[in-house]
Amino acid sequence: MPAENAKLDISTFLLSSIHDMKNSLGVMAAYLEQALAETGEVTTAQQAAARDKTAQALYEAQRVNNHLIQLLALYKIDQSFYPFDPQDRPLADLAREVLARALPLADSKGVTLDCDCPEDLYGWFDHELVLGVLVQALHNALHYSRHRVLLSAAALDTGVIFSIEDDGPGFPDFLLDQGNAAQRGINFETGSTGLGLYFADIVARLHQAGDATGCIRLSNDSRLGGGCFTLELP
Amino acid sequence: MNLRALPPPDLSRSQILIIEDFEGMRAILRDILTRAGASRITLALNAANAINQLERQRFDIILCDLHLGQGKNGQDILEEARHRALLLPHAVWLMVSSEKASEMVTGTIESRPDDYLIKPITETMLFSRLSRQIEKKQALAPIEIALREHEYLKALRLADAALDKANPHAWDLKRLKAELAMHSGEHGMAKAIYEEALSLRNLPWARLGLAKIHFNEGRYDDARRELKAITDGNRAYLEAHDWLARTLDRLGDPDGAQEVLQRALATSPRAPLRQLHLGEVAVKRGELETAALAFQNSIELARNTPLKSPQAYLALSQVQLARKQTDAALNTLSTLSIDLRGDPAARLLAEAMQIPIRLQTGELDLARELAQRLAGELRAEAQQLPPEAVFNLAGPLLTLGDKTTAGALLGCLISNNHEHPEYLERAETIFAEAGFGSEGRDLVQGAARAATDIMNRGVKLSREGKLKEAIELTREARRTMPNNARLLLNHAFLLIAWMERHGREFTLNDEARRCIERARKLKPGDKRAGELLTRLELIGNDFEVPA
Repeated sequence: MPAENAKLDISTFLLSSIHDMKNSLGVMAAYLEQALAETGEVTTAQQAAARDKTAQALYEAQRVNNHLIQLLALYKIDQSFYPFDPQDRPLADLAREVLARALPLADSKGVTLDCDCPEDLYGWFDHELVLGVLVQALHNALHYSRHRVLLSAAALDTGVIFSIEDDGPGFPDFLLDQGNAAQRGINFETGSTGLGLYFADIVARLHQAGDATGCIRLSNDSRLGGGCFTLELP
Repeated sequence: MNLRALPPPDLSRSQILIIEDFEGMRAILRDILTRAGASRITLALNAANAINQLERQRFDIILCDLHLGQGKNGQDILEEARHRALLLPHAVWLMVSSEKASEMVTGTIESRPDDYLIKPITETMLFSRLSRQIEKKQALAPIEIALREHEYLKALRLADAALDKANPHAWDLKRLKAELAMHSGEHGMAKAIYEEALSLRNLPWARLGLAKIHFNEGRYDDARRELKAITDGNRAYLEAHDWLARTLDRLGDPDGAQEVLQRALATSPRAPLRQLHLGEVAVKRGELETAALAFQNSIELARNTPLKSPQAYLALSQVQLARKQTDAALNTLSTLSIDLRGDPAARLLAEAMQIPIRLQTGELDLARELAQRLAGELRAEAQQLPPEAVFNLAGPLLTLGDKTTAGALLGCLISNNHEHPEYLERAETIFAEAGFGSEGRDLVQGAARAATDIMNRGVKLSREGKLKEAIELTREARRTMPNNARLLLNHAFLLIAWMERHGREFTLNDEARRCIERARKLKPGDKRAGELLTRLELIGNDFEVPA
């Protein structure tokens, strides 16, 4: 009965397909990581080119994988069934997991990834969401950086702040505008970068304590001379 | 780089179980664990295999995928393992999932795993979570042991002692402490923790905790307000939906209750108890088709799990009978006797509940033959029969002229529930409809009065200091009304008062504990049960909690 079939909600297929693609890309990224780890010493220009291409493929696979994870989370948040669950946890544990997800890419690109995070610093956050925001921001920074990226976490009077700084060319003006638009809650173009920013903004805002609400910021005030992304959580 | 890499946990002596249906994932997990020195790794490919392994040996670490294809999922395995005490006190259970699911945000001490791992799983993630949880479970093992011994007060004090030190799991401990306080009837202590948490931020588990206190203390309007504050914004908090439905039930709003349950089932349909509740609410609203479907779902989902009970089968067969589907109703009963063949009460019920069906189909001889054959057994097992079954059976027995058995069943029901006005009324109505109005009233009122009388005499004797006589009285009464929650608690109270004066005695201690546990099953959330448990624990005991 075509009439019946036509009634089937397309969003069901979209959702299950996104799940499937996400899992598949996860496996693909794991293989690429393994391949990079097994490359060993690069002695010829040919090997170097192969390694760079693999690294580029890894970056793309992870980038799309992250976007799909974000899409799924955003869908659940939008439909009011994301199980938001902030817990009081050490930031260092989160930072370690974030680094682990970014180190293979950093190594393959020859970028030094530093982290500055006190062991005894605690914060209330939804682990999966904040992990998603930071991994995405770190991948982005690694992509544009020249030699160094720094992930740092610190206490604020009002909560905690994560910063991701790089030594690349910095954010272009239009992105700085978009980042600021995100903070004001104005709808903006959802290109691929738009999605990441939008996701980060939504995640930040979900974190509330009393009257305080989380926020993100984009600037070119990096201590390393490039772009700086910050996530503040109350 | 100031962040030091954590050393991998030492797993060289750990017994590890991996429960995972996907081969690739099993290999990834095993490889990572092997890098931390693990050599004793057992693999389970499905739930049945996992239960089998858990029965055979005790594991230190269990990594379990939440979704295992058809059949039981990881949550079912965890609950069964806890229920059957197949886990060591320090065992770490990590649940692996491909995404954050609504099951992960609520739940009780009994149903929560130690942590969730969301794929993709990296070595760093697995090691850091494992290290944290191993350390935590080692530290909390004494609390876990006290919990298993039902020593809630001791567990509470141990939790307090742990909280005195700087603790990386302070809020896990506080949440645990609040749950322990609820078990000990210390609602005030639990409330303080939940309110402290809510002053920090809007935490659903803390609000749910507050709502449960309101509910248990009969403040249903307050409970509804708190629960709606959780469920209105988000339908992922399933447990809050279940409590809201329960609360609306109490507030006489079955329409609201059904709506809430259906919303929760749309998010997570694999919940046999939620399906059962939906069926019950739908029956109240006269939506028999919805009810039948819900009971059917409940039966299918609970089959092969510890959650299966005759309740859903009996309710389904009753709905089918009301819809004049007598063949289906008989079929349901025969499924009951097959699915619960190890349970003698279920087998008896599966036979006895055919009586009303045979009456409706006009098979009078069959009905009479059944009633005659089962009468003795029904009277002997009267205490084990669920109230709904008794109500549905008593009328047909009266129709068949067996006033003795009907009276025995209803009398027993009233003795055990003498403070339940709705039951008294229903029992009297059944007699009245069969034309035995005054006789029925005498029997029902008499049974209720006899129970009240025993309570009063017990209280009087204990006030006069005649504890021994009071104990004799309530102990004797327990034989005839073993499921009367108030009597059980009164009896426990007297035993405790005796031991407080004369010292702990093993048999009395055991008797008191059984009474309290039974009463708690009959009336979950009764504050008095927790308070008595605490007093029982305190007899001749002031816990030495190491500083």
